[in-house]
Amino acid sequence: MFEMKNVSMIYDMNTDAMTYALKSVDLELPDRGLVGIIGPSGSGKSTLMYCLSTLKEPTEGSILYNGKELTHVGNREREQLRRREFGFIFQKHYLVPYMNAVDNVQVGAVDKAAAAKAPDFLRELGLSEKEFGKKPAKLSGGQCQRVAIARAMINDPKVIFADEPTASLDHENAYNVMSILKEYSDDRLVLVVTHDKSILKDAERIIEIWDGELSR
Amino acid sequence: MKLSAWKYVKNNKRVTGVMVLALALAFVAMYVIFVLMQTSAESFKPVMLKMPTRVSFADLSGKAYGLKGEDYETDEEYMAAYDSKQQELMDALKQKPGIEDAFYTQILNSKYQAVMGQYTFEVPLMEPERIPSFLKHMDAELIEGRLPAGDGEMLVDATIMKNSGYELGGWFMPDWYGEVFRIVGVIRSEYLISMGTPMGYTNSGFYIVVCNDENTTDLTGMLKEQGIELTEADTIWDAASYREAYKKDVQDTIDMVITGICLVVMIFLSILVMVAYVSFMRNRVNEYNLYSSIGYGRYEIYCMILKEMLILFLIGTCTGFLLSLLSAALLNELVILPRGLVGKVFYTDQILKILSVNLFIMGILQIPTLVCLSRIKTIDNIED
Repeated sequence: MFEMKNVSMIYDMNTDAMTYALKSVDLELPDRGLVGIIGPSGSGKSTLMYCLSTLKEPTEGSILYNGKELTHVGNREREQLRRREFGFIFQKHYLVPYMNAVDNVQVGAVDKAAAAKAPDFLRELGLSEKEFGKKPAKLSGGQCQRVAIARAMINDPKVIFADEPTASLDHENAYNVMSILKEYSDDRLVLVVTHDKSILKDAERIIEIWDGELSR
Repeated sequence: MKLSAWKYVKNNKRVTGVMVLALALAFVAMYVIFVLMQTSAESFKPVMLKMPTRVSFADLSGKAYGLKGEDYETDEEYMAAYDSKQQELMDALKQKPGIEDAFYTQILNSKYQAVMGQYTFEVPLMEPERIPSFLKHMDAELIEGRLPAGDGEMLVDATIMKNSGYELGGWFMPDWYGEVFRIVGVIRSEYLISMGTPMGYTNSGFYIVVCNDENTTDLTGMLKEQGIELTEADTIWDAASYREAYKKDVQDTIDMVITGICLVVMIFLSILVMVAYVSFMRNRVNEYNLYSSIGYGRYEIYCMILKEMLILFLIGTCTGFLLSLLSAALLNELVILPRGLVGKVFYTDQILKILSVNLFIMGILQIPTLVCLSRIKTIDNIED
């Protein structure tokens, strides 16, 4: 599904303090499965994920998504990819504070048919009906993360990018979130960025990254 | 699915309520100030625009009649010639169709106090026998008291009575004329006319009073037809001169004040709304960044912001409009009418002006909106 060739991401390029976030990365990712990207803080794992998801543009190299060169597509097409084919779970759940759980899921929907599925998704993810109308401030961290997962899945995306999805959760909630992602990865690609190897025990593949370079 | 503008409005009632209230109160402030100012314009209309359709005044110098002081040996001879010319003129005017009467008489001045400014106008004095016909000409009816029978007795319009705080049996313009002219009757006419009988000499002057109709309001023109050469020393109060005075002294002044007030309110309101709006948008930066990250374009986000703004302005404007009409009606009942003034509740022009101010402010708000849009990032930028 994804093919990265010689991808580098350099920060502060025009200064003496030039920093490589990614250094000549070559990587291929399958159409389905749970793939973990692991590494310490500042190793470039999030940058790698953001480059794949079009949120960042690499300084050099090529990224192919289903044969299409992502580094050459226009803004509109990037937006459409993020909207229709990718789903995002961020480290902080980034829910809209004034919207209730259902509205927060529906805000990611591409059409009314997808939006109509929001309550079912929330139910499947373990939220009770009485929590549907609650705003993020009234939900627990685990519940918020489930709402964020439902938002990421609402359009049935081909890829889910999850950046430290369990960072703010206790062990039980972390386990539940990973179970949901594992199940989704049966016929989709789920890319999980983390520094906690223990949550990737069910991953089909683990990619380790150090100082912007893949170690395995 | 498009981003919904209504969700923010619905779920943030306190913030949006404050914005709506601010817009509504600004609307009310601009409208109520206008209503108070415009009360002067409305109130002066009967005296300055309607009265001249029934009566005109002329104070002519000897020069206007072609008389020269040096042609006469004594003042008495000059005055006799002046009186004769004046009588000729009045007789000629009375021959004209539409002129019911023309007579030379002393006048008093009457005050009419509006919310902003006061207007002073002529009150003719005449012999008691002439009063019934003059009343009839002015379509006035006696509603209280009696007609003047002796010297220094006045008939005063009910509105002027209320406006000046007069009482039947009290004195007319006592601060100007002392306790000389007693009010013996109250009349009602649409021209706010008052009249009375003379009592000695006052320094308000003598005028030719012409009882005209709507087709003979051009006294200046009629005088010229009679060979009168008007100079700066002559005073004519006919429909044209009243109209000019109304435009210059009343309408233009009020327009200037209203425009000034609207401008000041507009500038202050623009600054206040802009400051409030910038902070309102700052609180939502992460929300916009989220939308951008999950695939919404800047145009879609802009459309949502614009719709939210439209909803707030629409609710604010409608609320302001209704509150303004309510305030104007209350103001009319409690302040304007009890003072014998004329007020209106609905002024289309002012409503349109306020709508323009609101549109201007909405236009100005596009600047912080576009600045905010240009700074939208995706979540990765925030997390870095």
